[in-house]
Amino acid sequence: MLNSNLTRRNFLKTGAAVTAALPLGAAHQALAAGAPKRVAIITTIFRLQSHGQHIGDRFIVGYPWAGEWHKPNTQVVAMYVDQHPDGDLSAERAKQFGFKVYPTIAETLRCGGSKLAVDAVLIIGEHGNYPRNEKGQIQYPRYEFFEQVAKVFEDDGRVVPVYNDKALSYSFEKASKMVATAHRMKFPMLGGSSLPVTWRLPDLELPLGCTIEDALMVGVGASDPMDFHALEALQCMVERRGRGETGVKSVQLVEGDAVWKAGQEGRWSKELLDAAFSRSDTPMGPGDTESRPEDLVADGWLPKLVANPAAYFIEYRDGTKVTMMMLNGALKDFNIAVRVKGMRGIQSTQFLLTPDPNVTYSACLAHGIEQMFETGVAPYPIERTLLVSGMLEACLTSKAQNHQELATPHLSVSYRPPAQSVYCKV
Amino acid sequence: MSKSRPQLAAVITEHRKYSHAQHIVDRFLYGYGWHGAHHHPEMDLVALYVDQHPKGDLSGERARDFPSMKVYPTIAEALTRGGSKLAVDGVVVVGEHGHYPKNEKGQTEYPRWRFFQEVVKVYKDSGRSVPMFNDKHLSWNWDWAKAMYDTSRQMGFAYQAGSSLPVTWRIPSVEMPLGSRIREALSIAYGGVDSYDFHALETIQCMVERRHGAETGVKWLQAYRGDKFWDALKEGVWSRRLMNAALCRSHTLTPARPGFNDIFPTDDDMRRIVKNPVAYHYEHLDGLKCTMLLMNGLVRDFNFAAEMEGSNKIFSTQMYLPMPDGRTTLASFFSPLVNNMEKMFLTGKAVYPIERTLLTTGLTAAGVESLYRNQTRFETPHLAVKYQPTTESTFERA
Repeated sequence: MLNSNLTRRNFLKTGAAVTAALPLGAAHQALAAGAPKRVAIITTIFRLQSHGQHIGDRFIVGYPWAGEWHKPNTQVVAMYVDQHPDGDLSAERAKQFGFKVYPTIAETLRCGGSKLAVDAVLIIGEHGNYPRNEKGQIQYPRYEFFEQVAKVFEDDGRVVPVYNDKALSYSFEKASKMVATAHRMKFPMLGGSSLPVTWRLPDLELPLGCTIEDALMVGVGASDPMDFHALEALQCMVERRGRGETGVKSVQLVEGDAVWKAGQEGRWSKELLDAAFSRSDTPMGPGDTESRPEDLVADGWLPKLVANPAAYFIEYRDGTKVTMMMLNGALKDFNIAVRVKGMRGIQSTQFLLTPDPNVTYSACLAHGIEQMFETGVAPYPIERTLLVSGMLEACLTSKAQNHQELATPHLSVSYRPPAQSVYCKV
Repeated sequence: MSKSRPQLAAVITEHRKYSHAQHIVDRFLYGYGWHGAHHHPEMDLVALYVDQHPKGDLSGERARDFPSMKVYPTIAEALTRGGSKLAVDGVVVVGEHGHYPKNEKGQTEYPRWRFFQEVVKVYKDSGRSVPMFNDKHLSWNWDWAKAMYDTSRQMGFAYQAGSSLPVTWRIPSVEMPLGSRIREALSIAYGGVDSYDFHALETIQCMVERRHGAETGVKWLQAYRGDKFWDALKEGVWSRRLMNAALCRSHTLTPARPGFNDIFPTDDDMRRIVKNPVAYHYEHLDGLKCTMLLMNGLVRDFNFAAEMEGSNKIFSTQMYLPMPDGRTTLASFFSPLVNNMEKMFLTGKAVYPIERTLLTTGLTAAGVESLYRNQTRFETPHLAVKYQPTTESTFERA
């Protein structure tokens, strides 16, 4: 079981650890106000609109933040790119901005020298051609990237903050090792996607310590990459309950008619689904054909629109039960509805995913990453990303095992959410 | 059907997919997602007048699906529901979209004035008037707009108008504090003259009307287009800082260089991307200067920025108007517009002042006029429109 208090202590110690391990001159240079943080980008591919490009570029050309074009005090000095498909921009970017693309991760982190020569690492293992496993997960090499990064830290006797994009790994076992390594070596680590940090319509944060009676997240995907977004959005809301997160007891993923049947049996709430849909800007069916604002839930549209619905039932160790629904064909955005004890009505909001190509939501994410690079403290716990990585894997296992309910004793991940809201309100 | 539910008539130019009337009328018929539920307005749309029936007209279909709503061949019949006296409790006028002539100044002569006159004639003949909503600006013609406003005041009916801009979500969700001392304000948007310029002017006006001393009206307006726009930018006619801030609120900034998805444009980039930029630069009677920029090709959203006295920080936000151009399906910004109409029909009181729309109507026409007069400064003594803003915020945030 992982403990967030331990994590916090470790984070606080990291600054000191970094300083102690550095040769004195270099430490002064790195910590002096105004010295840009040297960043290494470790990515699967660097092509237009790939995560590697649009997150990586935030640290190269800056990003819109709070009504300004914000240039982080960073300098991308080295890049590792695992695959070079058509449209690869890494060489061009390196040339224009004066950094080098190295053939290995170790060389990247050492900038071709013999010792770790960067102040921060971005690991972006999303997009690119990687095999799928029998559960349908794309086996992005995030764990392998991370291990190589950690090995350089180990060998060179110095650690720096690491951001890992999206899930830690398709495998909870690998993800757990990553987190354990970060804790053991005492470096700050941030993970996850933009959903928890993007704007919410409306601004909604659940009160810390609340009791959640029911929660329902609706989105689109029903695939390994998109489900992570929706699960993470759900988790960043429900983790604020009680005394903090204590982990997941069981999961079940059902599909097809079983989803509608579960609704009739009251396993998920139509009222909550209606509330979540009320936040959507993209209802399909009559909304799509005629821009007609019909009530898709009450008027029985959903079975007609959604050929393969999926419901993810999650029961936490403290007894809280929540549902995530992937309703491809019924909408195109991500919305949540929650019933909170003592609060009137249903709380609901949309996690705003702003349009291509700017995907400004990733600026909200970049801001959180930058904060960690600056302060050495991750703005939210890596245990959230760990738990969501594990929840997703467990749900996909349930799907592969005949949609059975699965006990998840391995998902006893405990942590405390940040007391302050960390989503974008500026 | 309870008698206490207001009965409404809608007078519209056309009802086809994505026309303003479709968005508005359909919300009364089907309801819409609102604050965590599917909301059905506590009123009934019972009568419809449709001026044009182009290909794709949906009004017949709607009348079939909603037998409680009848389509009438004239405005008078719609308002009297085929009888001799006004028989509704509220009127929604949507004179946007449809085929209407364009004049030599480039204005589409939407028949809002005609619609208004015919509605008012029924009011007069019946010796009773009811609240009216007018979509977007009052008229393309200032004199007519002024007459519409004056008539509504003389007859004393609640009159509410404008577009979704002042009432939609803001990203971030911020309000101009009442009594603010504003040094300069600006909006950056897209679209055409006598069209989206109105939206972009409303974007500014709903914010600056909250300034110290409230609204006093506008003294003059100068439009810039094409090369004169770029010259004005270089000369600093409007604040560069405000322009940059507003651009940084956009979620649809055209990438200035290939290979980048989100990068801030240089002046050269902007010149290359924006073929025919338009600016309306104007001064209020209390000295406040505002600028509205239409930068087609560069952005596809509505962004606001203001410089405040005593603060180094720019106040800025985006008025969220997610168009059904692939971004959304429902043009959900019509929901707060309709919801505010409902409030007026239920209370008999306009939620926000009609004077705002009167002023932005006049500013739109003044912009057109200045462009028509070779981009010369157009004096606007007729725009000495004074009013107080609402104390409460009326934009969507719940």
